[in-house]
Amino acid sequence: MSVALRYCVLAVGLAGLLCAIAVLHLRASASDEVPRVQFNAKNVGPRAIEDLTSQHIPRDYALAWQTMEQALERNRPDLLDAYFTGFAKEDLTKRVRSQIRAGMHVRYQDRGHHLEGIFYAPAGDVMELHDRAQLDLQIYDGGKVIYDEPIDAQYVVLMTPGADRWLVRKLQAVSGEKP
Amino acid sequence: MRKTTPFLILMAAAWSAGAADLHPPAQTTAGNPISIASSGAGDATFYLIGPASVIKRQVKAGTDIAVDGDDLQNSGRYVAILCGSDGCGSSPFFVTPAAPNRVSLQVHPSRVPVGSVNGISAVAFVFDNLHNLVLKSPPVKFSILPKDGREVSADRPVENAIAWVRLTSARKEGTTKIGAAIGHADEVRVVEQVAAEACNLRIHANRDKNGFLVETDPVRDCSGNPVPDGTVVSFTMSDSAGKSTVDVPIKRGVAKITMPSKGRARISAASGVVTGNELEVGG
Repeated sequence: MSVALRYCVLAVGLAGLLCAIAVLHLRASASDEVPRVQFNAKNVGPRAIEDLTSQHIPRDYALAWQTMEQALERNRPDLLDAYFTGFAKEDLTKRVRSQIRAGMHVRYQDRGHHLEGIFYAPAGDVMELHDRAQLDLQIYDGGKVIYDEPIDAQYVVLMTPGADRWLVRKLQAVSGEKP
Repeated sequence: MRKTTPFLILMAAAWSAGAADLHPPAQTTAGNPISIASSGAGDATFYLIGPASVIKRQVKAGTDIAVDGDDLQNSGRYVAILCGSDGCGSSPFFVTPAAPNRVSLQVHPSRVPVGSVNGISAVAFVFDNLHNLVLKSPPVKFSILPKDGREVSADRPVENAIAWVRLTSARKEGTTKIGAAIGHADEVRVVEQVAAEACNLRIHANRDKNGFLVETDPVRDCSGNPVPDGTVVSFTMSDSAGKSTVDVPIKRGVAKITMPSKGRARISAASGVVTGNELEVGG
């Protein structure tokens, strides 16, 4: 009986260890997954959004977040080239460079985005969106976690079309009050 | 005594946990310096993580930590962290945009036919001096400054940092300036208003040694503006040999071509969606 109990405890312990490893692995590879983006284009105007654009916006915004999370985690500003331009790229590049100088990096666990189209310019050359993002943010100094908090963040986003994708031109967090 | 000991331990733990606490203002304005009160004692490391910067420096816990306005230029969420020997404490805060003082104006298209109803769109993005979008601001003043006419202006409300307007191009060709202004900032774009489609396309023909020299009257739009050189006029000739079409660009206001034919022929011309008169020649 005691042997069976011992095996049972061992099995439970082993299962717990495997779960912990799995959780750690999931966290480590979070930025390798494309974040979930739910897109609402019901209220966008004055230009009516095209079918293809309404498919590309959430896809490209999700890929932008993925590359941003990777750039900030791996301290690689070059990753920002694919989906960022203008002030957004400039600001994030500065952020990564100052992280490198400070010996720091951040890790996001992205729990998804609710993206809403607000303004689509008559010429179709810019779109303003609001994003409500749910994230877990860990800030590292070297290998040590100095901050670990869930965040419910709101962003104002400007996206402009590039050759084959929409690019994030401005990504600005706003405080809780409705902008 | 037995009852007070756990309380004292809790108090000590709370004091220890709060050793690295920070108290930044809940909200501040971009570009303004702030002072962050800290509690605790001894050497500590202060971190400030913002949208475009990361600061890390050694400080004395328990003192006020000064942060330059240069380190708070970007509007958005910041996290201030203080790590001492007994752990880290943190506090997020928001930096809001400063007053609106920049406008970024997008005007489309840069060339527009005259008389295009709502053919021009002007979109103004409102920023502060530090390139932060200002979501709430006074209206933007849009102005139209024709080359030889008086200025017309109108205010448009700003919603989510954007004000926009649709405009109809003038009846007369030429450049016009479209401006947007807020506070001390303004931006101007130039739009070239060009002749619209040809109107009342007329052709005439004269026999020459190789056939018929067919020529248009000066090609103008319905407002009387000359259609730009380079616009294509298609001449079509039908004769006993069949039907042939030649595309000819307008040069110096007219399009002309010699069409080889010896017998009777019908000649017509078209430009865009406009067709001209038909000629019957020869015979």
